[in-house]
Amino acid sequence: MRTIILATAIRLLIPVFQIFSVYILFRGHNHPGGGFIGGLIGSIGFIFYVMTYGTKHTLKNYFRVHLKNDKVADLHSRARHRFHIARVNSRYRQRVEDEWKWEHRIMRIRPVYIIATGLFLAATSGLIGLFSGNPYMTAIWTGLEIPIVGKPGTTLLFDAGVYLLVFGIVLKITFVMAEE
Amino acid sequence: MLYFILASLIYAFIAPFVHRAAGKYGIAVQAGVPLVLFVYFATFLPDVQKGEVYTEIYNWVPSLGVQLYFYLDGLALLFTLLISGFGTLVMYYASQYLKDDAGLGRLYMYLTLFMVAMLGLVTAGNLVTVFICWELTSITSYLLIGHTHEKETARQSALQALLVTGLGGMALMAGFVLLGIAGDSYTIPELLTRNDLITHSSLYLPMLILILLGAFTKSAQFPFHFWLPNAMAAPTPVSAYLHSATMVKAGIYLLARLSPALSGPDVWHFTLLVIGTTTALLGAFLALQNSDLKAILAYTTVSALGLLVSLIGLGTDAAIQSMVVFLLAHALYKGGLFMVAGNIDHAAGTREYPLLNGLHKQMRFTGIAAMLAALSMAGVLPFIGFIAKELLYEAKAASSYIILALSFMVSVAYVAVATIMGYRIFWHNRSEPTKLKHQGQVTMAYPPLILGICALVFGLMPGHFVAPILGQAASATLGETIDFELSLWHGFTPVLWLSVLTILAGIFLYSVLQKKREPIAILQKLYANGPNKLYFVLLNGLQRGALHLTATIQNGYLRLYIASIILTQVALLLYTIWYNSPTLQLQQKINLLQDVLFHEWLLILLVLPAIYMLLKTTSRLTAIATLSIIGYTASLLYYLFGAPDIAATQLLIETLTVVIFVLVLHKLPRFQYLTHAHRRIKFVVISVLFGATMTYVLLLVKQFPLISNLKEYYGQNAYLLGKGKNIVNVILIDFRAFDTLGEMTVLAVAAIGIFALLRLRMDKEEKA
Repeated sequence: MRTIILATAIRLLIPVFQIFSVYILFRGHNHPGGGFIGGLIGSIGFIFYVMTYGTKHTLKNYFRVHLKNDKVADLHSRARHRFHIARVNSRYRQRVEDEWKWEHRIMRIRPVYIIATGLFLAATSGLIGLFSGNPYMTAIWTGLEIPIVGKPGTTLLFDAGVYLLVFGIVLKITFVMAEE
Repeated sequence: MLYFILASLIYAFIAPFVHRAAGKYGIAVQAGVPLVLFVYFATFLPDVQKGEVYTEIYNWVPSLGVQLYFYLDGLALLFTLLISGFGTLVMYYASQYLKDDAGLGRLYMYLTLFMVAMLGLVTAGNLVTVFICWELTSITSYLLIGHTHEKETARQSALQALLVTGLGGMALMAGFVLLGIAGDSYTIPELLTRNDLITHSSLYLPMLILILLGAFTKSAQFPFHFWLPNAMAAPTPVSAYLHSATMVKAGIYLLARLSPALSGPDVWHFTLLVIGTTTALLGAFLALQNSDLKAILAYTTVSALGLLVSLIGLGTDAAIQSMVVFLLAHALYKGGLFMVAGNIDHAAGTREYPLLNGLHKQMRFTGIAAMLAALSMAGVLPFIGFIAKELLYEAKAASSYIILALSFMVSVAYVAVATIMGYRIFWHNRSEPTKLKHQGQVTMAYPPLILGICALVFGLMPGHFVAPILGQAASATLGETIDFELSLWHGFTPVLWLSVLTILAGIFLYSVLQKKREPIAILQKLYANGPNKLYFVLLNGLQRGALHLTATIQNGYLRLYIASIILTQVALLLYTIWYNSPTLQLQQKINLLQDVLFHEWLLILLVLPAIYMLLKTTSRLTAIATLSIIGYTASLLYYLFGAPDIAATQLLIETLTVVIFVLVLHKLPRFQYLTHAHRRIKFVVISVLFGATMTYVLLLVKQFPLISNLKEYYGQNAYLLGKGKNIVNVILIDFRAFDTLGEMTVLAVAAIGIFALLRLRMDKEEKA
């Protein structure tokens, strides 16, 4: 299933899919959209990526955080050390001198974690209402009005939970199905 | 109170990380959490001792009458102090006992979780919260018993405890629902005042049976007592905490709590008395047959729980007073003795008491702790156990002499066991002292020592420390305020002579036991066929039955699964239609056809060739693509009729289905028909039947318009209350958010299920 057009296009399109899906999520409150649709759209980008590049490549590129760490150098303060580490880590895929001296840490983001986060977010968003003395799941809004996002409130948190859950589930199914 | 409980709940999940990060000093935090709770609950003492009740109410699901209701009276406070105080000691003890265990962090988490669940259970003022916490204690108990999950016995015992208490929990839930209906409320304080209403209800008997099932399974009453000795597979700190002091007392707590609401009819008193006394005798008898220290303690715990139940069953003022005193005394000495048994196991590597001799030189502090606890257990003078036994005898003597005689026998057995625990192992120098793997650790002897000293101090000065709170607990159990005074010395009453006689008889029984150690053959046979055997027979039968059923219904042909699902639905629908026999007015519907617009016709016409293609094609890819034409058409129809959200969802789902199908397409075998055409007819019949039924039902539905103001309500309030213009979305994430949460949970579980199923398949292929 590897065609050059799709392979090139999907690399450019993945961020677009992500941004659009988040936009759909926020937009859901007043216009068609919402967490469910947003999550589906967000995952579709990755499905096409899996179809062209395979599961392993997708996992490596998007679901693995590669962190470099180092011991605190002599005569450096802790704050300076942190800053240094942050700078090295933020240079994405750039070659760093003395590659060998870095301690590598790999964090994997499994789809199950995303599902769990979504469920957790949705379940806990109701607690805010409970703490303010109302029944569980009572919606609370802030007074702000942000363009695109609208009025942020606990329902947005809930919807974000739906988004993450759907996103995670579709990814999980895709990865399992596409695994050789 | 909510904040304290919730904070500890959240802490429970952080506990392993704290353990890992803080290392040796982490115990200060781990034991600090129960200690803080203990101090917090202790601040309620002055008010509660005056007879006040502290309540805190949060609405949870108001429409169902579910509240987060904290109700703290004397009984609840007594239990919270026991739970949190014991929690502190057990956390410390666990840190010493399992010093080198890799799973210690996990154990802290489960212990804290259990403590929170237990605290929630005893402070809950709403039946629903009681039930939730009840189940949580069952689950955490399962995790704790199975701590050493590498061992099969541990896993099996954990599952057994979960199944027995879980089944009891199910019965309890049904009982609570009946209680809620009969008492017309789910809040406990209201139910407590409605004794007449509840006991005269026609639901009383089934309700009582169900609630008692729950309480008896939890508190290991006969015939459900077998899980408790098996649960001794847990590490000793867990046994000391859950299976002597707290969790098994949850059933007692429930009976005591609901006693004002349920007591009165003879069946309540009679059942509790009979079951309680039987359990007490049986437990005491079985304890003497065993030689494993933890098994002995487990059976005496079963027996003590039986005594408590029988005292609640008696229900007189004196009985309830002795119940609360005995509850406290038992928690103190039994928890201590369990820790002593753990220390011995840790140091000597065995728990068989015939192998243990003269340990006092090597484990002096443990020995002293054991002696203190054993003296309290035997009911020797300055200890609280003595007061408990005096009261017990008084209460039983007031009812009937048969019951008194039975209690006497149980107490004699306790004295014998106490002699074994407190004297035989440590101070009896008959032969060479047992060689230990390592010297007794002083740190591990502190917790039981503290408990033993508590038993002594409470016994010496009962009026100062424990009488006020115990009095309030007894009042709460009785449902009326009573005068409650405790004193150590009652004078030379007949009961005192009976106590002396008990001790003498107990020591005599001990000396008889020392001489004769062979198990009795007939009894062994009886034990082998006891309820424990029945449990395994039932469990195996269930598994085999499930296997057969699955093999018949789910035989691996997907088409048959679908056919059976559809046929069931069609049958149910047709039955309802036949039963109600509504008439369908077709004439009116045909007129409606004229209103269909041209582009709508076009969409429908698009479906027809797709269906034709679908039936003719022999390629899976074509089939799935043509199927999606139908889906897309449906989504366009949704859009035309003003449901853009559903249209978008349908569109995306169709796309995803096709894409995911393509991913697995190459793994499937070639598509071909293996059956004859006339055999396939039956699937056509099923499809047509289903389609026809659904059409008929839909036409009917349109004919009888639903009278409901839901539509108006949502339309008007979506923006006013939900602050959103997209009604569908507002309903999903705000008005009906609870439903959505449920669906999300189902989805997450389904995802895990899919993963597990496919993984199973892959593992099989790898092996093959």
